[in-house]
Amino acid sequence: MTNLDGVFRREWGPAVAALARWSGDLTVAEDAVQEAFAEALRSWPRDGVPDNAGGWVVRVARNRALDRLRRESVRPGKELAAVVDDIRARTDRVDVHPVRDDELRMMFTCAHPALDPTSQLALTLRLISGLSVPEISRALLQSQSAVGQRITRAKNKIRHANIPLRVPPAELLPERTPHVLACIYSVFTEGYWSTAGPSAVRDELCDEGVRLAGELCSLMPDDRDAQALAALVLLHDSRRQTRVDADGALLPLEEQDRSRWDRGRIARGPRPTRARCRRDGTLPAAGSDRRAACDRTELAGDRLEHDLRGL
Amino acid sequence: MQYLALLRTAESNRTPDPETMAAEMSAYEAFHTKAGAALRAGDALAPTEAGVRITGGPDAPAVTDGPFAESAEVACGYYVFEAENLDDALALARDVPAAKHGSVEVRPTYHSFDPDWSSAGAQWLALLLEPPTSAHTPGTPEWEAEAARHGEFAAAAGDHIVSGAALHEPASATTVSVRDNRVLLTDGPYPESAEVATGFYLLTAADRDEAIKLASMIPATTVELRQLMGVSGL
Repeated sequence: MTNLDGVFRREWGPAVAALARWSGDLTVAEDAVQEAFAEALRSWPRDGVPDNAGGWVVRVARNRALDRLRRESVRPGKELAAVVDDIRARTDRVDVHPVRDDELRMMFTCAHPALDPTSQLALTLRLISGLSVPEISRALLQSQSAVGQRITRAKNKIRHANIPLRVPPAELLPERTPHVLACIYSVFTEGYWSTAGPSAVRDELCDEGVRLAGELCSLMPDDRDAQALAALVLLHDSRRQTRVDADGALLPLEEQDRSRWDRGRIARGPRPTRARCRRDGTLPAAGSDRRAACDRTELAGDRLEHDLRGL
Repeated sequence: MQYLALLRTAESNRTPDPETMAAEMSAYEAFHTKAGAALRAGDALAPTEAGVRITGGPDAPAVTDGPFAESAEVACGYYVFEAENLDDALALARDVPAAKHGSVEVRPTYHSFDPDWSSAGAQWLALLLEPPTSAHTPGTPEWEAEAARHGEFAAAAGDHIVSGAALHEPASATTVSVRDNRVLLTDGPYPESAEVATGFYLLTAADRDEAIKLASMIPATTVELRQLMGVSGL
Protein backbone atom coordinates (compact mmCIF):
# COMPACT_ATOMS: atom_id res chain seq x y z
CA MET A 1 0.00 0.00 0.00
CA THR A 2 1.19 3.50 -0.80
CA ASN A 3 2.33 5.58 2.11
CA LEU A 4 -0.80 7.63 2.68
CA ASP A 5 0.80 9.51 5.57
CA GLY A 6 3.08 11.36 3.21
CA VAL A 7 0.22 12.22 0.86
CA PHE A 8 -1.92 13.42 3.76
CA ARG A 9 0.85 15.52 5.22
CA ARG A 10 1.42 17.15 1.85
CA GLU A 11 -2.22 17.74 0.96
CA TRP A 12 -3.63 18.75 4.36
CA GLY A 13 -2.51 22.38 4.52
CA PRO A 14 -3.44 23.33 0.93
CA ALA A 15 -6.79 21.53 1.22
CA VAL A 16 -7.75 23.23 4.51
CA ALA A 17 -6.66 26.57 3.05
CA ALA A 18 -8.74 26.05 -0.10
CA LEU A 19 -11.80 25.01 1.91
CA ALA A 20 -11.31 27.97 4.25
CA ARG A 21 -11.40 30.35 1.30
CA TRP A 22 -14.44 28.62 -0.11
CA SER A 23 -16.42 28.40 3.16
CA GLY A 24 -15.03 31.42 4.94
CA ASP A 25 -14.85 29.35 8.10
CA LEU A 26 -11.90 27.49 9.62
CA THR A 27 -13.93 24.95 11.55
CA VAL A 28 -15.95 24.01 8.50
CA ALA A 29 -12.72 23.69 6.51
CA GLU A 30 -10.90 21.59 9.08
CA ASP A 31 -13.79 19.19 9.69
CA ALA A 32 -14.47 18.76 5.97
CA VAL A 33 -10.87 17.92 5.12
CA GLN A 34 -10.77 15.53 8.05
CA GLU A 35 -13.81 13.76 6.64
CA ALA A 36 -12.28 13.67 3.17
CA PHE A 37 -9.16 12.04 4.59
CA ALA A 38 -11.29 9.46 6.37
CA GLU A 39 -12.96 8.75 3.04
CA ALA A 40 -9.54 8.49 1.36
CA LEU A 41 -8.46 5.95 3.96
CA ARG A 42 -11.44 3.81 2.95
CA SER A 43 -11.25 4.16 -0.82
CA TRP A 44 -7.63 4.75 -1.80
CA PRO A 45 -6.28 1.37 -0.62
CA ARG A 46 -9.04 -0.20 -2.73
CA ASP A 47 -8.99 2.04 -5.82
CA GLY A 48 -5.48 3.43 -5.67
CA VAL A 49 -4.36 7.00 -4.97
CA PRO A 50 -5.93 9.35 -7.53
CA ASP A 51 -3.56 11.17 -9.90
CA ASN A 52 -4.57 14.53 -8.52
CA ALA A 53 -4.82 13.62 -4.84
CA GLY A 54 -5.11 17.23 -3.74
CA GLY A 55 -7.98 17.95 -6.11
CA TRP A 56 -9.74 14.77 -4.97
CA VAL A 57 -9.44 15.76 -1.29
CA VAL A 58 -10.77 19.26 -1.93
CA ARG A 59 -13.70 18.01 -4.03
CA VAL A 60 -14.75 15.39 -1.47
CA ALA A 61 -14.24 17.83 1.40
CA ARG A 62 -16.45 20.41 -0.27
CA ASN A 63 -19.22 17.88 -0.81
CA ARG A 64 -18.97 16.73 2.80
CA ALA A 65 -19.08 20.32 4.00
CA LEU A 66 -22.17 21.04 1.92
CA ASP A 67 -23.92 17.91 3.24
CA ARG A 68 -23.11 18.91 6.76
CA LEU A 69 -24.16 22.52 6.33
CA ARG A 70 -27.47 21.40 4.86
CA ARG A 71 -28.06 19.23 7.91
CA GLU A 72 -27.01 22.00 10.30
CA SER A 73 -29.06 24.69 8.62
CA VAL A 74 -32.33 22.87 9.27
CA ARG A 75 -31.55 22.82 12.99
CA PRO A 76 -32.25 26.37 14.08
CA GLY A 77 -29.91 28.12 16.43
CA LYS A 78 -26.93 25.97 15.55
CA GLU A 79 -23.72 27.91 15.34
CA LEU A 80 -23.04 26.93 11.75
CA ALA A 81 -26.43 28.00 10.46
CA ALA A 82 -25.16 31.54 10.38
CA VAL A 83 -22.53 30.83 7.75
CA VAL A 84 -24.62 28.63 5.48
CA ASP A 85 -26.35 31.29 3.40
CA ASP A 86 -23.10 33.07 2.95
CA ILE A 87 -21.41 29.94 1.65
CA ARG A 88 -24.31 29.00 -0.58
CA ALA A 89 -24.28 32.44 -2.12
CA ARG A 90 -20.63 32.05 -2.99
CA THR A 91 -20.48 28.37 -3.79
CA ASP A 92 -21.25 28.58 -7.47
CA ARG A 93 -18.77 31.20 -8.40
CA VAL A 94 -15.72 30.38 -6.30
CA ASP A 95 -13.13 28.01 -7.64
CA VAL A 96 -12.18 25.52 -4.94
CA HIS A 97 -8.96 24.21 -6.36
CA PRO A 98 -6.04 24.74 -4.04
CA VAL A 99 -4.04 27.80 -4.99
CA ARG A 100 -0.81 28.84 -3.37
CA ASP A 101 -2.18 32.15 -2.16
CA ASP A 102 -4.56 30.19 0.04
CA GLU A 103 -1.64 28.97 2.12
CA LEU A 104 -0.26 32.47 2.58
CA ARG A 105 -3.72 33.63 3.61
CA MET A 106 -3.82 30.86 6.21
CA MET A 107 -0.39 31.78 7.56
CA PHE A 108 -1.47 35.38 8.12
CA THR A 109 -4.78 34.40 9.65
CA CYS A 110 -3.32 31.84 12.05
CA ALA A 111 -0.60 34.32 13.11
CA HIS A 112 -3.01 37.23 13.58
CA PRO A 113 -1.76 39.46 16.42
CA ALA A 114 -5.22 39.55 18.03
CA LEU A 115 -4.60 35.89 18.90
CA ASP A 116 -2.36 34.93 21.77
CA PRO A 117 1.08 33.76 20.47
CA THR A 118 0.61 30.24 21.84
CA SER A 119 -2.77 30.08 20.10
CA GLN A 120 -1.16 31.26 16.87
CA LEU A 121 1.33 28.43 17.17
CA ALA A 122 -1.26 25.76 17.99
CA LEU A 123 -3.54 26.92 15.19
CA THR A 124 -0.69 26.94 12.67
CA LEU A 125 0.36 23.43 13.67
CA ARG A 126 -3.21 22.18 13.38
CA LEU A 127 -4.52 23.93 10.28
CA ILE A 128 -1.40 24.38 8.17
CA SER A 129 0.89 21.59 9.30
CA GLY A 130 -1.85 19.06 9.96
CA LEU A 131 -0.59 17.89 13.34
CA SER A 132 -3.25 16.24 15.48
CA VAL A 133 -4.23 17.67 18.86
CA PRO A 134 -2.37 14.86 20.72
CA GLU A 135 0.75 15.58 18.64
CA ILE A 136 0.53 19.30 19.37
CA SER A 137 -0.03 18.68 23.05
CA ARG A 138 3.10 16.51 23.16
CA ALA A 139 5.09 19.17 21.30
CA LEU A 140 3.93 22.04 23.53
CA LEU A 141 3.94 19.97 26.73
CA GLN A 142 0.32 20.88 27.41
CA SER A 143 -2.65 18.67 28.08
CA GLN A 144 -4.74 17.59 25.12
CA SER A 145 -7.81 19.31 26.50
CA ALA A 146 -5.90 22.56 26.96
CA VAL A 147 -4.64 22.43 23.37
CA GLY A 148 -8.06 21.43 22.05
CA GLN A 149 -9.73 24.31 23.91
CA ARG A 150 -7.11 26.75 22.76
CA ILE A 151 -7.65 25.82 19.12
CA THR A 152 -11.46 25.90 19.41
CA ARG A 153 -11.33 29.24 21.17
CA ALA A 154 -9.04 30.72 18.51
CA LYS A 155 -11.28 29.49 15.68
CA ASN A 156 -14.34 30.92 17.45
CA LYS A 157 -12.63 34.24 17.87
CA ILE A 158 -11.72 34.33 14.19
CA ARG A 159 -15.37 33.64 13.33
CA HIS A 160 -17.08 35.90 15.90
CA ALA A 161 -14.73 38.87 15.81
CA ASN A 162 -14.43 38.47 12.04
CA ILE A 163 -10.68 38.18 11.70
CA PRO A 164 -10.38 38.25 7.90
CA LEU A 165 -9.04 35.19 6.09
CA ARG A 166 -6.66 37.11 3.92
CA VAL A 167 -3.19 38.38 3.27
CA PRO A 168 -3.36 41.86 4.79
CA PRO A 169 -3.30 44.87 2.47
CA ALA A 170 0.10 46.35 1.67
CA GLU A 171 -0.06 49.07 4.32
CA LEU A 172 -0.52 46.48 7.08
CA LEU A 173 2.17 44.06 5.89
CA PRO A 174 5.12 45.72 7.67
CA GLU A 175 3.47 45.21 11.04
CA ARG A 176 1.82 41.88 10.31
CA THR A 177 4.59 39.92 8.56
CA PRO A 178 6.76 39.83 11.71
CA HIS A 179 4.01 37.89 13.49
CA VAL A 180 4.04 35.27 10.75
CA LEU A 181 7.82 35.07 10.93
CA ALA A 182 7.78 34.75 14.70
CA CYS A 183 5.10 32.07 14.53
CA ILE A 184 7.00 29.99 11.98
CA TYR A 185 10.17 30.45 14.00
CA SER A 186 8.27 29.17 17.04
CA VAL A 187 7.33 26.02 15.14
CA PHE A 188 11.02 25.43 14.48
CA THR A 189 12.35 26.38 17.90
CA GLU A 190 9.73 24.32 19.73
CA GLY A 191 11.36 21.36 18.05
CA TYR A 192 14.93 22.57 18.08
CA TRP A 193 15.47 24.14 21.48
CA SER A 194 13.20 21.91 23.43
CA THR A 195 14.53 20.67 26.74
CA ALA A 196 12.36 17.60 26.62
CA GLY A 197 14.95 15.62 24.67
CA PRO A 198 14.84 14.21 21.17
CA SER A 199 11.65 12.65 19.94
CA ALA A 200 9.92 12.02 16.66
CA VAL A 201 7.44 14.88 17.09
CA ARG A 202 10.26 17.31 17.83
CA ASP A 203 12.14 16.31 14.68
CA GLU A 204 8.88 16.78 12.88
CA LEU A 205 8.54 20.33 14.23
CA CYS A 206 12.05 21.17 13.00
CA ASP A 207 11.22 19.80 9.55
CA GLU A 208 7.93 21.66 9.55
CA GLY A 209 9.58 24.92 10.60
CA VAL A 210 12.08 24.57 7.74
CA ARG A 211 9.27 23.73 5.32
CA LEU A 212 7.06 26.66 6.37
CA ALA A 213 9.95 29.12 6.22
CA GLY A 214 10.72 27.88 2.71
CA GLU A 215 7.06 28.13 1.72
CA LEU A 216 6.85 31.68 3.03
CA CYS A 217 9.95 32.60 1.01
CA SER A 218 8.48 31.28 -2.19
CA LEU A 219 5.14 32.95 -1.46
CA MET A 220 6.78 36.28 -0.60
CA PRO A 221 9.92 36.22 -2.74
CA ASP A 222 10.60 39.94 -2.27
CA ASP A 223 10.37 39.90 1.50
CA ARG A 224 13.87 39.98 2.90
CA ASP A 225 12.81 39.14 6.42
CA ALA A 226 11.24 35.94 5.14
CA GLN A 227 14.49 35.09 3.35
CA ALA A 228 16.43 35.78 6.51
CA LEU A 229 14.16 33.55 8.54
CA ALA A 230 14.56 30.69 6.08
CA ALA A 231 18.32 31.17 6.16
CA LEU A 232 18.32 31.17 9.92
CA VAL A 233 16.32 27.99 10.39
CA LEU A 234 18.42 26.23 7.75
CA LEU A 235 21.58 27.33 9.53
CA HIS A 236 20.35 25.97 12.86
CA ASP A 237 18.98 22.90 11.25
CA SER A 238 22.26 22.07 9.53
CA ARG A 239 23.53 21.33 13.04
CA ARG A 240 20.53 19.40 14.27
CA GLN A 241 22.25 16.01 14.21
CA THR A 242 25.35 17.20 16.08
CA ARG A 243 23.64 19.13 18.85
CA VAL A 244 23.44 16.20 21.26
CA ASP A 245 25.89 13.49 22.20
CA ALA A 246 25.13 9.78 22.27
CA ASP A 247 23.34 10.16 25.61
CA GLY A 248 21.14 12.97 24.38
CA ALA A 249 22.95 15.73 26.29
CA LEU A 250 23.28 19.11 24.56
CA LEU A 251 26.73 19.83 23.13
CA PRO A 252 28.12 23.37 22.94
CA LEU A 253 28.96 24.66 19.47
CA GLU A 254 32.73 24.23 19.96
CA GLU A 255 32.41 20.55 20.80
CA GLN A 256 30.19 19.65 17.86
CA ASP A 257 31.53 17.55 15.02
CA ARG A 258 31.55 20.13 12.27
CA SER A 259 32.21 17.58 9.58
CA ARG A 260 28.68 16.31 10.21
CA TRP A 261 27.01 19.68 9.68
CA ASP A 262 24.67 19.63 6.74
CA ARG A 263 26.54 21.60 4.07
CA GLY A 264 23.59 21.42 1.73
CA ARG A 265 21.40 23.34 4.17
CA ILE A 266 24.07 25.94 4.79
CA ALA A 267 24.45 26.39 1.04
CA ARG A 268 20.70 26.76 0.58
CA GLY A 269 20.17 29.21 3.40
CA PRO A 270 22.74 31.52 4.98
CA ARG A 271 25.16 31.89 2.07
CA PRO A 272 22.82 33.36 -0.53
CA THR A 273 21.25 35.60 2.11
CA ARG A 274 24.55 36.95 3.28
CA ALA A 275 25.64 37.55 -0.27
CA ARG A 276 22.43 39.43 -0.93
CA CYS A 277 22.98 41.57 2.17
CA ARG A 278 26.46 42.47 1.15
CA ARG A 279 25.15 43.57 -2.19
CA ASP A 280 22.68 46.11 -0.87
CA GLY A 281 24.49 46.87 2.34
CA THR A 282 21.71 46.30 4.86
CA LEU A 283 21.02 43.50 7.24
CA PRO A 284 17.86 41.57 6.60
CA ALA A 285 15.12 41.61 9.16
CA ALA A 286 16.44 44.82 10.67
CA GLY A 287 13.99 47.35 12.02
CA SER A 288 11.65 48.16 14.81
CA ASP A 289 8.62 46.44 13.32
CA ARG A 290 10.12 43.06 13.82
CA ARG A 291 10.92 43.86 17.39
CA ALA A 292 7.31 44.77 17.97
CA ALA A 293 6.31 41.24 17.12
CA CYS A 294 9.19 39.63 18.96
CA ASP A 295 8.55 41.34 22.25
CA ARG A 296 5.09 39.88 22.40
CA THR A 297 6.20 36.39 21.48
CA GLU A 298 7.56 34.69 24.53
CA LEU A 299 8.37 31.52 22.68
CA ALA A 300 10.58 32.79 19.95
CA GLY A 301 10.99 36.50 20.25
CA ASP A 302 14.23 36.93 22.11
CA ARG A 303 15.85 34.13 20.24
CA LEU A 304 14.81 35.42 16.84
CA GLU A 305 16.11 38.87 17.71
CA HIS A 306 19.35 37.50 19.06
CA ASP A 307 19.93 34.94 16.36
CA LEU A 308 19.25 37.28 13.49
CA ARG A 309 21.78 39.72 14.85
CA GLY A 310 24.41 37.02 14.68
CA LEU A 311 23.60 36.05 11.14
CA MET B 1 -20.45 44.36 11.37
CA GLN B 2 -20.33 46.31 14.61
CA TYR B 3 -17.99 46.36 17.58
CA LEU B 4 -18.38 47.89 21.01
CA ALA B 5 -15.22 49.67 22.08
CA LEU B 6 -14.91 50.22 25.82
CA LEU B 7 -12.38 52.88 26.79
CA ARG B 8 -10.58 52.41 30.08
CA THR B 9 -8.25 54.77 31.87
CA ALA B 10 -7.05 55.32 35.41
CA GLU B 11 -9.57 57.51 37.20
CA SER B 12 -7.96 60.44 38.95
CA ASN B 13 -9.54 62.33 41.84
CA ARG B 14 -8.45 65.69 40.58
CA THR B 15 -10.14 67.57 37.82
CA PRO B 16 -7.57 68.05 35.05
CA ASP B 17 -6.49 71.62 34.34
CA PRO B 18 -8.26 73.44 31.50
CA GLU B 19 -5.33 73.09 29.12
CA THR B 20 -5.20 69.32 29.50
CA MET B 21 -8.97 69.18 29.07
CA ALA B 22 -8.81 71.26 25.90
CA ALA B 23 -5.99 69.14 24.46
CA GLU B 24 -7.95 65.98 25.23
CA MET B 25 -11.10 67.36 23.65
CA SER B 26 -9.32 68.34 20.45
CA ALA B 27 -7.66 64.91 20.28
CA TYR B 28 -11.12 63.34 20.37
CA GLU B 29 -12.47 65.78 17.82
CA ALA B 30 -9.59 64.88 15.50
CA PHE B 31 -10.36 61.20 16.00
CA HIS B 32 -14.06 61.76 15.21
CA THR B 33 -13.18 63.59 12.03
CA LYS B 34 -10.74 60.89 10.93
CA ALA B 35 -13.04 57.97 11.77
CA GLY B 36 -16.10 59.65 10.30
CA ALA B 37 -19.05 57.39 9.55
CA ALA B 38 -17.33 54.37 11.11
CA LEU B 39 -18.42 55.76 14.50
CA ARG B 40 -22.06 54.79 14.93
CA ALA B 41 -22.25 56.03 18.51
CA GLY B 42 -20.01 57.02 21.36
CA ASP B 43 -19.59 59.30 24.31
CA ALA B 44 -17.56 59.99 27.40
CA LEU B 45 -18.88 58.56 30.66
CA ALA B 46 -19.36 60.66 33.78
CA PRO B 47 -16.99 59.67 36.64
CA THR B 48 -17.80 56.41 38.40
CA GLU B 49 -18.84 58.30 41.55
CA ALA B 50 -21.91 59.44 39.62
CA GLY B 51 -22.73 55.87 38.54
CA VAL B 52 -24.33 52.94 40.30
CA ARG B 53 -23.97 49.18 40.25
CA ILE B 54 -27.03 47.04 40.57
CA THR B 55 -26.68 43.42 41.62
CA GLY B 56 -29.19 40.69 42.29
CA GLY B 57 -31.24 41.00 39.12
CA PRO B 58 -34.80 42.31 38.65
CA ASP B 59 -36.25 40.25 41.51
CA ALA B 60 -34.02 41.57 44.26
CA PRO B 61 -31.98 44.49 42.98
CA ALA B 62 -29.38 45.94 45.34
CA VAL B 63 -28.05 49.34 44.37
CA THR B 64 -24.51 50.47 45.26
CA ASP B 65 -23.37 54.01 44.59
CA GLY B 66 -20.05 54.65 42.87
CA PRO B 67 -17.13 54.90 42.86
CA PHE B 68 -16.65 51.14 42.64
CA ALA B 69 -13.29 50.75 40.97
CA GLU B 70 -11.89 47.33 41.73
CA SER B 71 -9.23 47.55 39.07
CA ALA B 72 -6.62 50.16 38.16
CA GLU B 73 -8.55 51.36 35.13
CA VAL B 74 -12.27 52.10 34.85
CA ALA B 75 -14.56 52.57 31.88
CA CYS B 76 -14.44 56.20 30.82
CA GLY B 77 -16.11 56.10 27.43
CA TYR B 78 -17.50 53.94 24.68
CA TYR B 79 -17.91 53.79 20.92
CA VAL B 80 -19.84 51.61 18.55
CA PHE B 81 -17.68 50.98 15.47
CA GLU B 82 -19.03 50.04 12.10
CA ALA B 83 -16.21 48.01 10.55
CA GLU B 84 -15.93 45.34 7.93
CA ASN B 85 -13.63 43.13 9.98
CA LEU B 86 -11.48 43.07 13.10
CA ASP B 87 -8.49 44.62 11.32
CA ASP B 88 -10.57 47.70 10.52
CA ALA B 89 -11.99 47.83 14.06
CA LEU B 90 -8.50 47.59 15.57
CA ALA B 91 -7.29 50.35 13.24
CA LEU B 92 -10.04 52.57 14.70
CA ALA B 93 -9.30 51.50 18.28
CA ARG B 94 -5.63 52.38 18.08
CA ASP B 95 -6.56 55.93 17.10
CA VAL B 96 -8.78 56.47 20.15
CA PRO B 97 -6.88 58.96 22.33
CA ALA B 98 -7.51 56.87 25.47
CA ALA B 99 -5.44 54.02 23.95
CA LYS B 100 -2.31 56.10 24.56
CA HIS B 101 -2.62 56.09 28.33
CA GLY B 102 -5.31 53.50 28.98
CA SER B 103 -6.74 50.71 26.89
CA VAL B 104 -9.58 50.05 24.46
CA GLU B 105 -11.43 46.73 24.66
CA VAL B 106 -12.91 45.79 21.29
CA ARG B 107 -15.90 43.44 21.42
CA PRO B 108 -17.86 42.12 18.43
CA THR B 109 -21.63 42.53 18.82
CA TYR B 110 -24.17 39.87 17.87
CA HIS B 111 -26.41 42.11 15.86
CA SER B 112 -25.91 45.37 14.09
CA PHE B 113 -27.94 48.46 14.73
CA ASP B 114 -30.36 49.58 12.15
CA PRO B 115 -28.66 51.84 9.58
CA ASP B 116 -31.07 54.66 10.44
CA TRP B 117 -30.47 54.34 14.13
CA SER B 118 -29.01 57.24 16.05
CA SER B 119 -27.82 57.37 19.63
CA ALA B 120 -29.13 60.91 19.98
CA GLY B 121 -31.07 61.30 23.20
CA ALA B 122 -29.26 58.55 25.07
CA GLN B 123 -28.31 59.68 28.56
CA TRP B 124 -27.23 56.49 30.28
CA LEU B 125 -25.10 53.49 29.43
CA ALA B 126 -26.04 50.25 31.17
CA LEU B 127 -23.26 47.66 30.95
CA LEU B 128 -24.37 44.10 31.61
CA LEU B 129 -21.68 42.28 33.56
CA GLU B 130 -21.30 38.58 34.28
CA PRO B 131 -18.60 36.35 35.76
CA PRO B 132 -16.26 35.38 32.88
CA THR B 133 -17.38 31.76 32.66
CA SER B 134 -21.14 32.25 32.66
CA ALA B 135 -21.73 33.32 29.06
CA HIS B 136 -24.41 31.31 27.31
CA THR B 137 -24.01 29.88 23.83
CA PRO B 138 -26.52 31.08 21.25
CA GLY B 139 -29.08 28.43 20.39
CA THR B 140 -29.04 26.76 23.80
CA PRO B 141 -32.22 26.77 25.93
CA GLU B 142 -30.40 28.98 28.47
CA TRP B 143 -29.69 31.52 25.75
CA GLU B 144 -33.31 31.47 24.59
CA ALA B 145 -34.57 31.90 28.16
CA GLU B 146 -32.27 34.85 28.65
CA ALA B 147 -33.37 36.39 25.36
CA ALA B 148 -36.98 36.06 26.52
CA ARG B 149 -36.17 37.93 29.74
CA HIS B 150 -34.61 40.71 27.70
CA GLY B 151 -37.78 40.76 25.61
CA GLU B 152 -39.77 41.37 28.79
CA PHE B 153 -37.42 44.16 29.79
CA ALA B 154 -37.75 45.75 26.36
CA ALA B 155 -41.52 45.62 26.60
CA ALA B 156 -41.52 47.17 30.08
CA ALA B 157 -38.95 49.88 29.32
CA GLY B 158 -40.39 50.81 25.92
CA ASP B 159 -39.07 54.05 24.49
CA HIS B 160 -36.61 54.45 27.32
CA ILE B 161 -34.36 52.00 25.45
CA VAL B 162 -32.51 53.91 22.75
CA SER B 163 -30.68 50.76 21.71
CA GLY B 164 -28.61 47.87 22.94
CA ALA B 165 -26.73 44.83 21.81
CA ALA B 166 -25.47 41.50 23.06
CA LEU B 167 -21.74 40.92 22.82
CA HIS B 168 -19.92 37.83 21.65
CA GLU B 169 -18.12 35.77 24.30
CA PRO B 170 -15.28 37.50 26.19
CA ALA B 171 -12.69 35.31 24.44
CA SER B 172 -13.51 37.10 21.19
CA ALA B 173 -12.33 40.40 22.68
CA THR B 174 -9.09 42.16 21.80
CA THR B 175 -7.61 44.82 24.05
CA VAL B 176 -5.65 47.58 22.35
CA SER B 177 -3.20 50.03 23.85
CA VAL B 178 -0.57 52.29 22.35
CA ARG B 179 2.69 53.00 24.17
CA ASP B 180 5.59 54.91 22.64
CA ASN B 181 3.80 54.79 19.29
CA ARG B 182 3.71 51.00 19.41
CA VAL B 183 0.41 49.21 19.22
CA LEU B 184 0.01 46.44 21.78
CA LEU B 185 -2.72 43.86 21.24
CA THR B 186 -3.90 41.49 23.95
CA ASP B 187 -6.05 38.49 23.16
CA GLY B 188 -9.09 38.72 25.43
CA PRO B 189 -10.90 41.33 27.56
CA TYR B 190 -9.30 43.81 29.91
CA PRO B 191 -7.50 41.38 32.21
CA GLU B 192 -8.00 43.01 35.59
CA SER B 193 -11.76 42.95 35.82
CA ALA B 194 -13.54 40.22 37.74
CA GLU B 195 -16.59 40.56 35.52
CA VAL B 196 -16.91 40.90 31.79
CA ALA B 197 -19.46 42.78 29.73
CA THR B 198 -21.95 40.55 27.93
CA GLY B 199 -24.12 43.32 26.50
CA PHE B 200 -25.22 46.90 26.90
CA TYR B 201 -28.22 49.19 26.68
CA LEU B 202 -28.36 52.89 25.95
CA LEU B 203 -31.17 54.42 27.98
CA THR B 204 -32.99 57.69 28.29
CA ALA B 205 -34.59 58.74 31.58
CA ALA B 206 -36.08 61.87 33.16
CA ASP B 207 -33.66 61.70 36.08
CA ARG B 208 -31.16 59.49 37.88
CA ASP B 209 -33.83 57.73 39.93
CA GLU B 210 -35.72 56.75 36.83
CA ALA B 211 -32.51 55.51 35.20
CA ILE B 212 -31.79 53.34 38.25
CA LYS B 213 -35.35 52.03 38.19
CA LEU B 214 -35.00 51.08 34.54
CA ALA B 215 -31.57 49.50 34.99
CA SER B 216 -32.88 47.46 37.93
CA MET B 217 -35.22 45.67 35.56
CA ILE B 218 -32.37 44.46 33.31
CA PRO B 219 -31.78 40.71 33.62
CA ALA B 220 -28.08 40.51 34.47
CA THR B 221 -25.95 39.49 37.44
CA THR B 222 -24.58 43.02 37.65
CA VAL B 223 -25.54 46.18 35.81
CA GLU B 224 -23.11 49.08 35.80
CA LEU B 225 -25.11 52.21 35.09
CA ARG B 226 -23.11 55.18 33.88
CA GLN B 227 -24.22 58.63 32.90
CA LEU B 228 -23.22 59.84 29.44
CA MET B 229 -21.51 63.20 29.25
CA GLY B 230 -23.16 64.18 25.99
CA VAL B 231 -19.94 65.72 24.71
CA SER B 232 -19.15 63.62 21.66
CA GLY B 233 -21.73 65.02 19.27
CA LEU B 234 -22.14 61.54 17.78
